[in-house]
Amino acid sequence: MENVVELKNVTKKFKGFSVENINLDVKQGFVTGFIGANGAGKSTTIKMMMNLLRPDAGEVKLFGLDYRTHEKEIKERIGFVYDGNVFFEGLNLKDIKRIVGPAYKRWDNQVFDHYIDQFELPLNKAIKTFSKGMQMKASLALALSHHAELIIMDEPTAGLDPIFRRELLALLQELMVDENRTIFFSTHITTDLDRIADYITFIQSGKIIFNRSVHDVAENYALVKGGTDLLDRDTEKFFIQVHRAPTGFEALTDNIKDVQNTFGDAVVIEKASLEDIMYYMKGGVHHV
Amino acid sequence: MFNLIRRDIILQKKQLILFIPIVLFFIYMDKHPALIFLVASIFIPLNAYAYDEKSETNILLNSLPYTRKEIIASRYLGAIFYMGLACGLTGLALFFFDRPFTLTDMAIGGGLFLTFAAFTFPLFYILKPGYISTVVIISFLLLAAAGPPVVIFFAERLTAISNFIMNLSDLVLYTGTALVIIVIYGISWGMSTVIYQRKVF
Repeated sequence: MENVVELKNVTKKFKGFSVENINLDVKQGFVTGFIGANGAGKSTTIKMMMNLLRPDAGEVKLFGLDYRTHEKEIKERIGFVYDGNVFFEGLNLKDIKRIVGPAYKRWDNQVFDHYIDQFELPLNKAIKTFSKGMQMKASLALALSHHAELIIMDEPTAGLDPIFRRELLALLQELMVDENRTIFFSTHITTDLDRIADYITFIQSGKIIFNRSVHDVAENYALVKGGTDLLDRDTEKFFIQVHRAPTGFEALTDNIKDVQNTFGDAVVIEKASLEDIMYYMKGGVHHV
Repeated sequence: MFNLIRRDIILQKKQLILFIPIVLFFIYMDKHPALIFLVASIFIPLNAYAYDEKSETNILLNSLPYTRKEIIASRYLGAIFYMGLACGLTGLALFFFDRPFTLTDMAIGGGLFLTFAAFTFPLFYILKPGYISTVVIISFLLLAAAGPPVVIFFAERLTAISNFIMNLSDLVLYTGTALVIIVIYGISWGMSTVIYQRKVF
């Protein structure tokens, strides 16, 4: 089994917002980053993977299993981390462990204690007194203590300071030493992904724009800069989006070869960062 | 599933300290034993719902390896379990304070609680979070205040029905009532399960 998560033609409609015909495979043994602007449908997609939402149409499969028949088996193998605190805020970690732990067959107290030590978390303090970073560490410790094969995280780095963000990414890398493990996490901080992601899934306005390896993305997209006199109806076809400024244009292309053949040295071709791709795909405002 | 039921004790450790004084207060006020059993039974299950109406709790429970059916079942079985526990403790307290009570009092208290639970539990899955506890508490007070006069009013006017009930033997009356309560509780359980399975978090 190569894909841990498979979404086939998944559609979910809400008032004023919908995700439509989502096809998404998450490959086993890799880190997949899930990027998209706020409100693009990241949380909705993740909720459908967790069976918190049921799709109106389409098929959601985890580990090749269906939620309708294998809900417990699936969730037994998932570790989850959400953006906000979902644990009873008045309780301390020890009590939360008493509630969460017995839910899993493979819960491992030793692993839990190990993370509590590593993260320097107090066991006897109410979780509502924790800082955002500590809450994230607590969620992580709880998510990692039952030998989960798939770790699903919704915006784990949002609201964290840069130092802890790096620590978290390092920790995720450590986890990936186990070759069977898969991590799927959403973020809008794209620099997180440059460090650890193997695959990037990009969602925009409820549609998956691409799902490719980091390498592929780097090879296929580029930023092109040059004088506006180079642009006409024919040449503009090479670009996904062009931003014009008095000093010249800047554009995103997924057709590097043609751009090179047509313009040669008249333009500068640069590597496009994920942020560039997100920005240009959105057709955002022009650069000043 | 047992873990889901046990969860209520972990959550309510602090509130449970209040449990004994409340029961003692009612005993001291010389209230009818059946009423004391009722109040004691309501304490834990209703408190549990105050926690569960938060959407975060539902996200957590549904992300853990439980099915939605189990989550609802734990509520309904838990209510019976905690009712039993509360009635036992209350019985002990009454015994120590030398207040006489009969098993009938306990049965009436428990029966009233189950009926109350059957009507209120589904509300928790229908109404918007935040309003539920208020609605339930107000309706409980209203029922407690308005219930007896209404029953007496009807009992006096619909003599045919009250005569029929009066003529039943104790055994028939009690088993009949017990059966009706079990059926209502079962229907309520089924309804909650259906509603909860369609819920979105």
